Amino acid sequence: MEAIFVLLPLALLIAAIAVGFFIWAARTGQFDDLDTPAVRILFDDEEPPPRAAPDTSSRRVPR
Amino acid sequence: MSRSFAVHRPDSAASCAHCGLAVPAGVVREHDTDQFCCNGCRQVHTLIGEWGFGRYYRLVDQQRGRLEPARVSGRSFEDFDDDREQATATDQLGPDRRCTQLYLEGVHCAACVWLVEKLPAVLAGVDEVRLNVGSGVAEITWRPARTRLSIIGRALDRLGYTPHIHRASRTQEARRVEDRVALARLGVAVACDMNLMFLQGAVYAGDYSGMAGRYYAFFRWFSLLVAIPVMLFSAKPFFRTAIAGLRTRVVHIDLPIAIGLAAAFAASLFNTVRGSGPIWYDSVAMLTAALLGARQIQRSAQRMALERADGLRGAAFLEFARRLDGEGPDAPVVEVPVAALLPGDRVEIRSGELVPVDGVVLAGRSSIDNAVLTGEAGSQMVQEGDVVHAGSTNLGARIVVRVDAAGESTRVGALLAIVQDALARKPHVLQKSDVLARRFVQALLGLAVITGLAWLSNGPAVAIERVVALLVVACPCALGLSVPLAMSVALLRAARAGIFIKNPDALERLCNVDTVLLDKTGTLTQGRPTVARWHGDDVVLQLARSLEAESCHAVARAFLASYGRAFAVVRSVSGVVETAGQGMAGRIDGHEVRVGNRDHIVAGGAEIAAEWAAVAAAMVADGMSPVFVAVDGCVAGVAGVGDALRPDALATVGTLRRRGLRVRILSGDHPGVVARVGAALGLPAEDVEGGLTPEAKRDIVSALAARPARKGAIVMVGDGVNDAAALALADVGIAVHGGTGATMAASDIVLTREGVAPLVDILDGAKRLRGVIRRNIAFSLLYNAGASAMAMAGLVGPLMAAIMMPISSLSVILSSAITRTFVWPGARLRAGGGVQGRL
Repeated sequence: MEAIFVLLPLALLIAAIAVGFFIWAARTGQFDDLDTPAVRILFDDEEPPPRAAPDTSSRRVPR
Repeated sequence: MSRSFAVHRPDSAASCAHCGLAVPAGVVREHDTDQFCCNGCRQVHTLIGEWGFGRYYRLVDQQRGRLEPARVSGRSFEDFDDDREQATATDQLGPDRRCTQLYLEGVHCAACVWLVEKLPAVLAGVDEVRLNVGSGVAEITWRPARTRLSIIGRALDRLGYTPHIHRASRTQEARRVEDRVALARLGVAVACDMNLMFLQGAVYAGDYSGMAGRYYAFFRWFSLLVAIPVMLFSAKPFFRTAIAGLRTRVVHIDLPIAIGLAAAFAASLFNTVRGSGPIWYDSVAMLTAALLGARQIQRSAQRMALERADGLRGAAFLEFARRLDGEGPDAPVVEVPVAALLPGDRVEIRSGELVPVDGVVLAGRSSIDNAVLTGEAGSQMVQEGDVVHAGSTNLGARIVVRVDAAGESTRVGALLAIVQDALARKPHVLQKSDVLARRFVQALLGLAVITGLAWLSNGPAVAIERVVALLVVACPCALGLSVPLAMSVALLRAARAGIFIKNPDALERLCNVDTVLLDKTGTLTQGRPTVARWHGDDVVLQLARSLEAESCHAVARAFLASYGRAFAVVRSVSGVVETAGQGMAGRIDGHEVRVGNRDHIVAGGAEIAAEWAAVAAAMVADGMSPVFVAVDGCVAGVAGVGDALRPDALATVGTLRRRGLRVRILSGDHPGVVARVGAALGLPAEDVEGGLTPEAKRDIVSALAARPARKGAIVMVGDGVNDAAALALADVGIAVHGGTGATMAASDIVLTREGVAPLVDILDGAKRLRGVIRRNIAFSLLYNAGASAMAMAGLVGPLMAAIMMPISSLSVILSSAITRTFVWPGARLRAGGGVQGRL
């Protein structure tokens, strides 16, 4: 059972890493908006991108 | 016979290619494949096609997004390019990139997110757009060297999302940082708690089946290690509030919590070091995690209401003015922020726009609506030399105004200063839970002393152990959970019903109401003149409406507004002649049509028969102005134009009065008009007051609040800037739908549903919420009393506490979740607007 003296700190270390990641995620604002990412994920590009190429775009800008 | 207007809107079979609403027959273009209900939708649809974003419409269908007719403001947004304006919502990201927050009107579903976030594909210099569908705030990353914010603003506007600089972004940012820290605290507490349960589980098992001493000590020391972050990081808010409360001699619910946590941790630490005796680390972590969790839920519910109100406020008041640069009335116009205006500048105010400054009309004739400022219904004619005030609305034609004052030195600026003053003077009401907390602490300390003395004969170690056990199980976990949980459920349900509760304290005060004070114009009434009654044939009405579409007089606006959409005009008119102050004449389909007052009709050669005169007299008696319509020299109809009561006003006032509440009207409108509205609502004459200035309204509220005999809260309901000071000072201020930004800032509750009927829902919801909270508190006190008795008798150890605590918390959570505080008027809401299904 001496393994417990190694395994328990190891388990705690892994848990601490997970908690560290959570704190990082919270502090960088990844939980600020819980609504939009849920809908944004539906928008994978199943069709070619819009016609307008970046170089001609300034022409289309409303003046 | 009088009939309502909306009934005979001649819709065609076609539906609008953009918003899907029925297209009025008058605007159907026969040879087009796509039909549009209005010009805004046509513009937006064309632009979406041009940019190759047709997929938007498929997403709308998939999401079943509810669309509204698109509104395109057509502004130039040059004021967005002013650095000081941008600064309120912009972060500089490196030398050549900025991130600006804009609040967008009209964001409703996933398709909007898709469309708005596609902007970088068509606008050079825009790197990224992130739209929050909940708050309607877009974060735009752009390069000042390659584009301007006004270009981005125009593009969003042309897509139907009128942008505004997000003025609340700084306060929201601060709130968000707080939220992030709170979330991190919660995460740490939950993670540590779960690990502690395993560790302590081993110790409990060891207590029963035996455990070698070195493992026993190892697990106990290890538990201490895991419990330290909980005490030092997660539980910090409880200690902070408890200590701050002690300093100001206010007992907060956090004090008994802090006592329990500190006692349990200190005793456990002592026992760990000395190597024997009970340890309570798992209880400490569990308490902290449960309480932080409940507060996090309440925080997110409250933040949603606040952000919603902030967004509406950001889109509020007097953001920009059109300044004339150069001489003459037709000089080029540039849009500038109001703050950049100087006295002597000349500004242009177009039809339908807010007047941004106090000043004198230099050119043009128009009618001005002062309802927001003074509460007066109806409009006032202005011409060269007349004074106009910031915050009023230009109903008529374009006028040019010389700036005398802008910003804080305007009349509306002075009113807003009064509001600030009133908000600062608002007395702090002691919370019921705080009163309860004080008794709780007193009882707890008393019991602790008794327990300590009673067990002292068994030795000080046993006595301390019993006292700690008492302090841990008496820690008001369920009590601390019950209020925030019940409250957050109520806040979310209320938001779904179109009621945004900015200040949850208001709900407690609403359980016991003495007087409800109602504003008239815009609250009980529509706030703008409409055709409230029509006598005559539908065809005649169409003729009159077609003719009135040629004018921008207030009466003409009433005809068009009553009809719903300004574009739905049916016939072409020729030979239009407008006689100032009298009426209009013109030819439609070969008929000579005249619309106007009695003199105008008589001047056109028509006679007013006794029958029509009687109809007109009845309208005058009901407070409406009769407008006659003559076709080919014969009177064919009479319209009663006035500020009509909201359809739900009569029923709502009746319900409130039946519940024994005193209902009073406070209005800035002429006393005669107000008296008629009061009579129509069945209120006694002494409860109806007109001609009040904003200061007088405020003074009435503070006089009522100071009255010693009052039975309960003073509730003020209003919409205009002139109500804002009274709203701020009342025990509960409620801003009705369509109110100005200042009103929302001053109020505790903001309605996003049309009408005054939500008032009854709010009162019902507050009562039901009080019921839930009382039940929760009663239960948690019962639990605490039982557990304390057991602890005093020496029956509770750490394992017992660890089992009892979650059971009591769970029962409070269930009790909060299942109760229907605010009923969601599903079908009613779906038809009437409000927030989307995302909630």
